[in-house]
Amino acid sequence: MSTLIGRILATEKSPTTIDEFNFWTNSDLKLSAFDIVKVEHIDESYTFGVIENISHITDAQSFLTNFISSDFGDVNIDEPTLRVGMNYAKAKVSFNSGNLYTPVHNNAKVYLATAEEITMALGLDKIQNPLVCGSLKMYEGTPEEVILPVHLNSKFILGPEGAHLNISGISGLAAKTSYAMFLMKAIQDQYHNDVGASVAFVIFNVKGKDLMAIDRPNDFSSDSPGEKERTLAEYEALGLSTVPFKNVKYYIPYTSSNSAKQSTYLTKGEIQDNIGTGQLKKFKYIYSDDKENIEMMFADIDDPTQTMESIISKIIDKEDNDFGGLSTWDDFMEKVTEKAQKGSPGDKGDISVLSWRKFKRVVRKAIQDDMFANGVNSSKAECHLADELKLIRKNEVHVIDIAKLPEDKQAFVFGDAVRTIYNLKLGEYDTESSIDPPSRIIIFIDELNKYASKDVPKTSPILREILDVTERGRSLGVILFAAEQFRSAIHARVTGNCATHAYGRTNSIETSAKDYSSLPNTYKNMLTRLEQGDYLVQNPIFRSILKINFPKPIYKQFKQ
Amino acid sequence: MSAEDSGFMIEPVCKPKDNKVMNLLADVTGGTSYKAHKYALDHSERPSVDYGSSEIVWKRRAETTLHKTYVDLSDRCQKLAGQDDQILSYFLDGSRRVFKVDDMAFSQSGNRSVIYPVVAGQIGVGCCRRVGKKMVPAKFKREFVLSMPDVADADRKSGFWPATVKKINECDELKRLGIVFSTILPYKTSKNDDKKYEDRATASIQDKMIEREKDLVAELVREGKLNQDNYLVKDGSLEYRPTKEDNADKKKYQTFKNNFSWVIGASKNFNPEVCMDVSGKPNPGFIANLPLYHRTPVAEYENPMLGDIKFAVWYIRLRDKTRTRTPFDGILKVEKILVTEEENEHGIESDLVDTLSAYLMNERNPVCYGSDLRWANHLYPIYLTESFVKSRYLSTESFLHLF
Repeated sequence: MSTLIGRILATEKSPTTIDEFNFWTNSDLKLSAFDIVKVEHIDESYTFGVIENISHITDAQSFLTNFISSDFGDVNIDEPTLRVGMNYAKAKVSFNSGNLYTPVHNNAKVYLATAEEITMALGLDKIQNPLVCGSLKMYEGTPEEVILPVHLNSKFILGPEGAHLNISGISGLAAKTSYAMFLMKAIQDQYHNDVGASVAFVIFNVKGKDLMAIDRPNDFSSDSPGEKERTLAEYEALGLSTVPFKNVKYYIPYTSSNSAKQSTYLTKGEIQDNIGTGQLKKFKYIYSDDKENIEMMFADIDDPTQTMESIISKIIDKEDNDFGGLSTWDDFMEKVTEKAQKGSPGDKGDISVLSWRKFKRVVRKAIQDDMFANGVNSSKAECHLADELKLIRKNEVHVIDIAKLPEDKQAFVFGDAVRTIYNLKLGEYDTESSIDPPSRIIIFIDELNKYASKDVPKTSPILREILDVTERGRSLGVILFAAEQFRSAIHARVTGNCATHAYGRTNSIETSAKDYSSLPNTYKNMLTRLEQGDYLVQNPIFRSILKINFPKPIYKQFKQ
Repeated sequence: MSAEDSGFMIEPVCKPKDNKVMNLLADVTGGTSYKAHKYALDHSERPSVDYGSSEIVWKRRAETTLHKTYVDLSDRCQKLAGQDDQILSYFLDGSRRVFKVDDMAFSQSGNRSVIYPVVAGQIGVGCCRRVGKKMVPAKFKREFVLSMPDVADADRKSGFWPATVKKINECDELKRLGIVFSTILPYKTSKNDDKKYEDRATASIQDKMIEREKDLVAELVREGKLNQDNYLVKDGSLEYRPTKEDNADKKKYQTFKNNFSWVIGASKNFNPEVCMDVSGKPNPGFIANLPLYHRTPVAEYENPMLGDIKFAVWYIRLRDKTRTRTPFDGILKVEKILVTEEENEHGIESDLVDTLSAYLMNERNPVCYGSDLRWANHLYPIYLTESFVKSRYLSTESFLHLF
């Protein structure tokens, strides 16, 4: 039996409409934004509404009335009778069981909804290809509290109907990486035994060694006792397995074993362990294979006259007199140095020495790293990253560690990987042997703002890659899961192409940006105080934005 | 396509003319209804001085300690506020809404006819109870009454008015709406009084309301809901006239009177002129100068009209004189019936007067400033009770449409 909590208010000034209604409740009733209420309507139908705001009013006509009520400003005065007050809530209509969207009537009864009714009201009961994306809590802190798993239609996150996920929120408090990992865990669980569709994951580790042990279970050592059982129960309630990721491979930038500087946060022991299990490889870049990617080093460099671009096209030109026959990074640098020399003839003068010097400055700094090598020794667990990515198989998770690389090299690795996956799904490598890519490849990158912010030069090759992925990846099967602190800073064509948006905790400066103008004020304010693990999720199949919660990570956590 | 074809039928709103209340009344009384303009006679409530006729003389003290001047209660107020308990639990208020609904001509000797107004009113009496700092409705009574000139009863038949009421209540329109007029109150038409007829009619309805208030007080008292921990505060004066039954059964009457130990009346309006000082001269200044959180000594007051009942009367100041418009704003007149023999002889226990006064003073907050001009004299629970009663009225439009 539903609990009656109030009655509809319809007055001349605040009428009920097709879209919304107000109702009064007892001031002590615990309700919160996003709770669903059920209202009796005509023809025995019920209209459901999502609470947007709750106001408390009293019969005091003005602030002055209250001031006078304390003996003209005595702060210690307690009143023997409480002023008459009530709460009224504003709700947005989400659904009517009889498809009757005429405004609800004055004084109509308002009830709390049951779990089935909430599912129906939010349109969660008819979702095809359900993929769990978290759980939703209604009437928190009341005896009627309801917890429901929330499912997305996987075709609206992995394509072909809609694709890509954008997660925004401030560092630490929003747990963006954890949410992306939770979704990927759900996807891996779901597609593990699926014969129709197949999914693989390419994940970039950008912070510490956060994602460098996602196949190991979380020991919950830094959590309160009982947390493990609670979290595992939550996973089970959502219909997920309680094991971490399967089929994980790690790739770290190569550094020679005698070099003091390592390009990863993993310890030597951890590296050796992973190599021992065959899970870890060190990647290298070889001049002859990777010279096309040199442009990635210029992602952040303004090139208004496109001189850098002409230099790069000269370099990758196989017929070029200067660069055509080169095979090592050293030869290449030598040639560049030669071009940058004063009095050098240049290339018939169309590229100036000054441009060569600028080019040299950028490149020399970038390739001064062990991972730019002359050869790959596979017996020492070394690899060429693009070749590994080409061989990605169903259900595999490839984690690429770029956390300790400087920004220009991070861009180089990221750009190279995205380009390889994109070309792989375009079918560019189909002629090569043992190529059998899964139907969907999900790329997850944190700190998207580094590569696709509004300030990135328009000529940036990485931005171009990302735009390609977001605009054409849906049909190709390349899905981008991206996270950033400030969504408003991201290129509009990138966010615009994402079907699913998850808003985590953010600050009020961010919510005042234009990107958030479609959200009601209450939701905006709510964004600034969301708990860790809470997200507002927007997806085309949801009737309204949902506030969902997801459990703690199930894979090993490293605490700094 | 006509309205009927389309499946919509508009029910005729107008009933046959002879079924309206005014037509029925004209029929029964032999008068002629003029279908005059209908309007409300009430004016908005504002602070006023009530120039009543009763006299209070401080000569006769009605409390055990013979105070000569004001009693300071600020300490006691503070102490009681800190205790967080309450003895003022029930609050009662009555109100009425009066409308002139028609002019009616009644023929007198020869061809002469005289026009008199017909006045109708809604009476509402309600009682609220305070439970844990919140007000909850306890009792409510509503009545519809009419007031007509006494000459409408042309034949001076006994039982004429009740028969007339019965007849109009049989009117279809009233039956359909479930409205019943309880009584017709005749007002005097003799010329010995220069009061307007409308005012006389209003006064008769006001009297009826007071009667209903008393009935409700009596009901609460009889139900035994009141005791030393649960006092009833009634808005206005406490003048209670014993009924015939009361007079007949002395023992029952005494029990009933005993129960009045737990009732106090608090009036917003009073006549400062009737407060005579020790020398027997009117001294409104004595009240006007009452300092904040002080009370006057208790005076005794008797009204022969009300039988053998004696009242104790005193005044308390709730608000600082400098904060109010006139010195009489912020002063409350408090009444209590002297019940026991001891009380009748020596007056009320002064300590009880102090305690009750202090509790009432603590009721000064919250205020209804902004919604009621009489905020300085209003007690918030009474104000809420009044609002509750008013909220239950039939709307002016609906009510006037009956006639």
